[in-house]
Amino acid sequence: MITRRDLIKWTAVAPALATGSQAAFARAPQGLDALLLDERFSPEPAADYARIPVMRFAGDVTGVWYDHLDRRWRDPGYVLGGITGSDALFVLETLANHHGRRVVSRTALAEPNIDGVRPVSWVIAPHHPSVTA
Amino acid sequence: MSVLPPDMDAAGFAALLDELRGAVGADWIWSGDTDMFPYRDSFSPVWNTGEERHASAAVAPENVEQVSAVVRIANRHRVPLFPISTGKNFGYGGPSPNVNGSVVLDLKRMNRVLEVNEARNFCLVEPGVSYFDLYRHVEERGLKVMLDVPDPGWGSPIGNSLERGVGYTMPHFRDHFGAHCGMEVVLPDGEIMRTGMGALPGSDTWQEYPYGFGPDPAGLFAQGNFGVVTKMGFRLLPLPEYYRTGLITVRKRRDLVKLIAHVNYLSDSGMVSEVRFASPLSTWMGDPDFLALATKAGGPSDTEMDAAAETFGLPAWAVDLQFLGPQAATLAQWEYAKDRILSDIVGAEAIDGDHFKLPASEEQLENTTQPYASGVRRRAALGVPSLGIWEIVRDDGHVGFFPVIPRDGEAVFEAQRVLGDAQREFPLPPYFSAITAPLFWHTHTFQMVFAPSVKHDDPEHNAMVHRAMKKMVAVAAELGWGDYRASPIYQDDVSATYSFNNHVLRRFHEQLKDAVDPDGIIAPGRGGIWPRRFRS
Repeated sequence: MITRRDLIKWTAVAPALATGSQAAFARAPQGLDALLLDERFSPEPAADYARIPVMRFAGDVTGVWYDHLDRRWRDPGYVLGGITGSDALFVLETLANHHGRRVVSRTALAEPNIDGVRPVSWVIAPHHPSVTA
Repeated sequence: MSVLPPDMDAAGFAALLDELRGAVGADWIWSGDTDMFPYRDSFSPVWNTGEERHASAAVAPENVEQVSAVVRIANRHRVPLFPISTGKNFGYGGPSPNVNGSVVLDLKRMNRVLEVNEARNFCLVEPGVSYFDLYRHVEERGLKVMLDVPDPGWGSPIGNSLERGVGYTMPHFRDHFGAHCGMEVVLPDGEIMRTGMGALPGSDTWQEYPYGFGPDPAGLFAQGNFGVVTKMGFRLLPLPEYYRTGLITVRKRRDLVKLIAHVNYLSDSGMVSEVRFASPLSTWMGDPDFLALATKAGGPSDTEMDAAAETFGLPAWAVDLQFLGPQAATLAQWEYAKDRILSDIVGAEAIDGDHFKLPASEEQLENTTQPYASGVRRRAALGVPSLGIWEIVRDDGHVGFFPVIPRDGEAVFEAQRVLGDAQREFPLPPYFSAITAPLFWHTHTFQMVFAPSVKHDDPEHNAMVHRAMKKMVAVAAELGWGDYRASPIYQDDVSATYSFNNHVLRRFHEQLKDAVDPDGIIAPGRGGIWPRRFRS
């Protein structure tokens, strides 16, 4: 299980792991505009970390996509970090690519798989000129 | 893996990209390994092998005039284009082309919902519109129409229908190509054509009468390579007032024959929405003895299966029925279905399901109140796009073989037996066994599913899956069960099985292709149709 301490530590270092879009990171507190947590791996109650808004879901990203990201990713900017299952990341990465964004950091986590799904931490940042801030 | 278009050197490729930049803007051209990674087929069983198909570049025009310009440039350079709408055709090739070095014509920027007409029940969209986009358009305006969405719903109505994709509501809307009405197409020479009433200047019936006058070429653009579809209309279901479900079970294995005949009647009469057949015995597939029985070579006997059902205290088959319409009509249809089936099949039982007014609440969409276990995915059943299906995708995706089989119980038993025996040599889960139920997605036919997973880090496993796919396509075809949709790496195999009269259908398509696109500018090889330039 990913603890609160792990989370704070990870969100602090995430920008340093990124390989691109540094200008986008510089615009956001702690380098992130929001953090996405998959409750299958991080079941702690919802809370914002270091003033970074946290969105939670449990495997199915439909709500997060339709209610938040689909709108956010139409506009420039918005660096999103996440700790999710690799299955959810595949969906998000595919959607991100479609919207001119890229996974710029990806780290497989040591926590155990759940139902064959491995946890991974990642950062998705604007990449295409149409969405870079 | 950087590749060049066929018959082109690096200098020619650079000149091509320069011209394309001039047509669509420098920001909307991509090439090179990193930028082209999203255009690989991430579900490919030939991932990282010599058989994987790679595009050389991608170009994203903003409108039909730019599409036409791109097609004319491609003609001048004799470069094949591979059009995609949103590129989410996973399991069937995703955004990857048939021919190495093709330039992906990515239509994602053409994302306008041009019209949704709730009085006449149609929509007109561009290829970059996703089902989510269309749903949001309808929801935000409170329009009283129901979409029919695939699962997942991130693809585009145009892309999905051109692949002959399916949804999960009423029969004539589930066949997405069948529900289309009118299209605009950029032809291989760059000319812009409209089909049906769209060919008549001043017509206001483009989305109401699909044929116009004379031959209708619309079918050529589904799973074909005769043009780039840039607009498409679809018929929409008026938002039903009410939704109702019910479950019917039958005790004996052979009861499936009668059950299917009754459901055929209900469906073809327009009384039911999508139905889901299932075997409650599937819950015992974890039991080694029952697994051995259900997957027995040559198939188990009816007596053996009925004895197992008796032992477990379970019915042999169940069918989930769904009804859409006025409240009184859905109740009457459910009562009629119960009476019709229970009076004819000894031991059949019925369970009343959920029922509520539409549109559904979030809780109702979550499907928490159904009084029995159900395979129905409620969002899709009510035309609400979702990404939830990804929860069941494992490893690095899967391939897909969906043979079309007769909507007949005896045919189901034969398919279980033949395809079950065919897959025995492969170490895969039993996709076909004595409990495999038919899928009733397309309006008037059944399919079954073979979708083994692929693993990017296990080439031996992928090679086995690749062999299994080819074998299943061939074995099924011997019995007349053809695949309905295939990834580029399997399209020639599938096309070859549709071989009546010395492959005259394919030869006819080739004649057409040679006439309108001899250099293979539009997706050569798609649908198994190769122009003269590539046939050698």
